[in-house]
Amino acid sequence: MKRRIFLLLLLLGLVLLPVFYSAPYFLHIIILIFFYIALTEAWNIMALCGKVSLGHSAFFGLGAYTSAILCIKAGVIPWIGIFPALFVTFLGAAALAIPLLRLRGPMFTLATIAFSEVLRRIAMVWREMTAGAEGLTIPFTPGWENLVFTTKVPYYYIFLVLAGGSVYIMHRIYHSATGHHLRAIASDEEAAQALGINTNRVQLVGLFWSSGITGLLGVFFTQYSYMIEPEWAFSQTLFALQPALNGIIGGLGTIWGPVIGAILMTPLGEFLRSYLGALQQGLNFFIYGLVLIGVVMVLPGGIVSPILSFLRHRDFKARQASSGKEAV
Amino acid sequence: MELFIQVAVSGLLLGGVYALLSIGLTLIFGVVRIINFAHGELLMVAMYLTFWLFQAQHIDPYLSILIVAPALFVFGMGVQRFIIQPIFDSPALMKIFVTVGLFIALQNLALMLFKADFRTIQTSYSMATIDIGNINVSVPRLVAFVFALVLLAGLYAMLKYTLTGKALRAVAENRVVAQLMGIRVQRLYLIAFGLGSAMTGIAGALLLPFTYVFPTVGGIYTLLAFVVVVLGGMGNMAGAFLGGIFIGLIESFSGVYISPALKEAVYFVIFILILLVRPQGLFGRGKGTEEVGLK
Repeated sequence: MKRRIFLLLLLLGLVLLPVFYSAPYFLHIIILIFFYIALTEAWNIMALCGKVSLGHSAFFGLGAYTSAILCIKAGVIPWIGIFPALFVTFLGAAALAIPLLRLRGPMFTLATIAFSEVLRRIAMVWREMTAGAEGLTIPFTPGWENLVFTTKVPYYYIFLVLAGGSVYIMHRIYHSATGHHLRAIASDEEAAQALGINTNRVQLVGLFWSSGITGLLGVFFTQYSYMIEPEWAFSQTLFALQPALNGIIGGLGTIWGPVIGAILMTPLGEFLRSYLGALQQGLNFFIYGLVLIGVVMVLPGGIVSPILSFLRHRDFKARQASSGKEAV
Repeated sequence: MELFIQVAVSGLLLGGVYALLSIGLTLIFGVVRIINFAHGELLMVAMYLTFWLFQAQHIDPYLSILIVAPALFVFGMGVQRFIIQPIFDSPALMKIFVTVGLFIALQNLALMLFKADFRTIQTSYSMATIDIGNINVSVPRLVAFVFALVLLAGLYAMLKYTLTGKALRAVAENRVVAQLMGIRVQRLYLIAFGLGSAMTGIAGALLLPFTYVFPTVGGIYTLLAFVVVVLGGMGNMAGAFLGGIFIGLIESFSGVYISPALKEAVYFVIFILILLVRPQGLFGRGKGTEEVGLK
């Protein structure tokens, strides 16, 4: 109950925030945090079953390119473009489904990298569609129907909804039978199968949500950045490594790990990029790499793990105290 | 037909270096049982070191192997000692993450030190060719190929006949029994990681006269090494050699007959197909690689 009130107050605060303070750079950082919460949460849905993807940029790029090309070449508004974008994303997901079901551990991760690299190369070469490295620009016609705005405030609410929605989806999956089955697969796929879990089916459900959210984020984030080119849309660093980093540092396969990871890492990255990046390109990711090594060596469960164990310990104590009273 | 032979020759020569790079990876994997996502970054480090030695100290890339190989040996041992060894008993996923962290850190360190430019070195023999009939054989590629063959033969002899080599094979076979036989397993992990890194480093020095180095070059070579190793069967030295030649040929042919921009895309597709259809590799025996690195 207390937790629910806290979440409602938090949500209310977030909804009212731009009314009180709407400096563009500040909102930009918050929008990035929301975006990465959603992206990391999507990544984490697949990581629930212990399969680590370093190729989520593939889904992002497929969604982003489908709606952007339809918008620019055929004048399809992004609200309608969402549906073909999701369709193409799911086609990509279907291609990755076979490695997902057949491979485990590092080999699956490598297959995801190879998969997104192939798509990036194709986007570079297929100039008639993507204009190659020159990229495409979203026409500047402001309005809700075109999802193009002159201020950052509407984007703030769009990404707030996307972030909240993906945390909610993760929450629902985590506590559903599918979520339990996915976690069972993470600890031992053969044992899970032996217990009668349809491992193929639940992994496909995970892939469906994970790729769908990522493709959707591709559509909206391209509208936010106005332009698209292959190195950006299929960027391994921005849309595959970054969510993986956030997820691992926050807490792999947890609901709140991605949120904590994105809140910590996004401002850190932006700070390093804007203040030190001018001096040293690459410093932000150099530090990320070291943080990742450090977290894995010191806190293998992610930053969320000590918090979780503290909460569990407290609940346990409270229950012990109350049951003690009953006994008396 | 002439073009065909020409392409085949250059692919074959390139394949020799790929074999060297991949045998570095398969040696580390076979003995230490760790999937090193930062393998291409080891190559990148070696290439930049060679580049720096040439630019600043005017040392010929082939001569610089005498510096690059020991440097990479020490670097590899350092990675094993200070990053891998402390988390050796953690789940496989965690071990992947530290090597991913290492790959991100090294790649961006290179970006900080050398910027994103494509760099290569211009030696007197960079463009030199030997003409046999109508076929041109690139000198640096030929040197790289011969060098790689000699090194691979040396490594093979070392594994077969020396005491350390026998111990390495024993650990690869069964680390528990090897330990019971009095082999100091931890020390051999260090040697294997160092040796694998040194081989990779030499491959880097050999590649630089005819390729480019840039900060993200490692990612491509990591995938390439894994493609070769999976093709040849995980931990299988002879398989990695044949796999290297095979991928060199594929790269050459798809570069000419499909599109230079898609040549990497072609072998990644082959990689995924091999993983799906024949996970034990073309030349592999026994269990598949689809679960490799988990147990």
